[in-house]
Amino acid sequence: MLAKYVVRRFLASIVVVLGVTLITLVLMDRTRGTYVPGIDLNPALRPEDIARLRTNLGLDQPFYMWYLSWIWNVIHGDFGRSMIDGSPVMSHILDRLPNTLELTGTAIVVGVLISIPLGIVGALRRGSKTDHALTVVSVAGFAVPQFWMGLLLILVFSVTFEQHGLPWLPSSGAASPLNGGDLLDRLVHLIMPATVLAFFYLSVWSRFTRSSMLEVLSQDYIRTARAKGMSERRVVYLHGLRNALIPLITLVGLELPGLVSGGLVVEVVFGWPGIGRLAFERALQYDYSTVMGVTFFATLLVVAGNLLADVLYAALDPRIRYA
Amino acid sequence: MIDPGHAVERELPSPAFEGESRRPAQSYWNESWERLRSNRIGIVCGSLILVLALIAIAAPLFTQFLTHYEPFRLDLDNTFQPPGHPHLLGTDELGRDTLTRLIYGGRVTLGVALLTVALSLTLGTTVGLAAGFYGRWIDDLLMRFVDVVLAFPAIFLFILMAILFRPTPITLAAIIASVGWGGVARLVRGEVLSVKQRDFILATQSIGARDGRLIVRHLLPNVLPVLIVAASLGVGQIILIEAALDFLGLGIQPPTASWGNMLTNSQSYFFHSVWLVYFPGITIFVTVLAANLFGNAVRDAFDPRLK
Repeated sequence: MLAKYVVRRFLASIVVVLGVTLITLVLMDRTRGTYVPGIDLNPALRPEDIARLRTNLGLDQPFYMWYLSWIWNVIHGDFGRSMIDGSPVMSHILDRLPNTLELTGTAIVVGVLISIPLGIVGALRRGSKTDHALTVVSVAGFAVPQFWMGLLLILVFSVTFEQHGLPWLPSSGAASPLNGGDLLDRLVHLIMPATVLAFFYLSVWSRFTRSSMLEVLSQDYIRTARAKGMSERRVVYLHGLRNALIPLITLVGLELPGLVSGGLVVEVVFGWPGIGRLAFERALQYDYSTVMGVTFFATLLVVAGNLLADVLYAALDPRIRYA
Repeated sequence: MIDPGHAVERELPSPAFEGESRRPAQSYWNESWERLRSNRIGIVCGSLILVLALIAIAAPLFTQFLTHYEPFRLDLDNTFQPPGHPHLLGTDELGRDTLTRLIYGGRVTLGVALLTVALSLTLGTTVGLAAGFYGRWIDDLLMRFVDVVLAFPAIFLFILMAILFRPTPITLAAIIASVGWGGVARLVRGEVLSVKQRDFILATQSIGARDGRLIVRHLLPNVLPVLIVAASLGVGQIILIEAALDFLGLGIQPPTASWGNMLTNSQSYFFHSVWLVYFPGITIFVTVLAANLFGNAVRDAFDPRLK
């Protein structure tokens, strides 16, 4: 049953990935006209050179031919070469992906680790001052523009701290260009961008944990557990929390695509050499093959995240059945 | 398909005990309105949004009588003036008055948000109604397309489309709505599927009502509450997306002011003119905050399931 469900979902996912990459290409195809990426940088090129370049890049074919050959190559593990610098797209992605995963992965883990306790506190002390304070923080986190929060952090912890001779945080990049790259150095660079991202996750997930916890604690089996004399601690953590976390798993699973694309704005603000910024910069330069590669990866993660969330949800909650 | 949303079935209000109702029967809309009115935070936030909208609409009046500057007028002798007199919120790198630009930026930002909501609701409702009502292959086709739209890493789609269409306020709204309608369509379809099961639909069909009438007169009013909630909860997120796109240089283009693009170059002002970083951001933050809290209030008032 589960296997059949997974297979069906998997097949549907392939359609989705194909659809997304096709839309990406159509959009880029509409924009390019007769453009060859980077051509405006070299005035010495003759028309026949440009024609040869276009043939080499496959730009003289209609886009559906380009798409078919792109898919064929992807199936064989070849993502093509960048149209800007001719290097393999895969190497670009592999170059940037670890940075992005470092950033978003940290943010998600920190978000989960902090939001669950906060959610529990909010639910157990419902209506208390702590609860109200947590609500305010969460509502604020949901309304603050991430890029602005990033700017403010830079302003305070990089600019102002440095002006006052305090130890300041680096405002840009994933590591120092000189003598950088050790663990401590990367960690120091990670603090601010990860804080911005984690704050957002935190504000969503802590609310969610709270309301999920409140709902579970009002269930009959919790009353039963209390009635049979179970200690409050066991009731809350053994029966309550375990059930309250099931929907949270879905939510975190749905956030997996954010691993690649979620940090784009933050990456731009903090000059983080991640994959989102790669896609952003390359899209501005009409580098199709790179954008296609990144979009493909990102979509794969969306689909995998959705699938994982659904399957986990079904596996963990016996009340849910797949039809 | 596993859909946790459907695990919770709509609970119908239990029929009132005949002849002994405590209060006069009220329509759903009256009741919802009463609930909304009694929510103080919701009313304050709703009023704040209304005031901001009015200021945006009456922007020329405000700039004429309050700030005395025009949004595009350069004044290169008075660049980076700190907040005070005569520039209440200071001036930017071209000597333009910040408050004036914020007021005019509000026109653009709120206008785009409104248009985006309208576009996503129209398209999403149409698709959702069609998919839910006709079912079968139409449903499959439309919903697979929605799957594709929602699986798209939204920010990439925005970037690609912003490069494709040179963003004006109208195309920007279309770009953001091109993702937003997917969620609305799913929501509406779900509602239609559950409303379709109810007896009054069968009754209407059996007296020979045509599909069009059934959809517009009987299904649409029943999905309206969900739409109202979705719209009011969506405004804040749309403003955030728009601000981010403007900030990245993919949205509203200078010299037209928007709250987002006023922050685009702000990193270069850190050392001398921080107010240029503060004010647009605070404006976005407060507006989105008010929109979200108002949205919550509307949800609490209009969605009886969550009470």
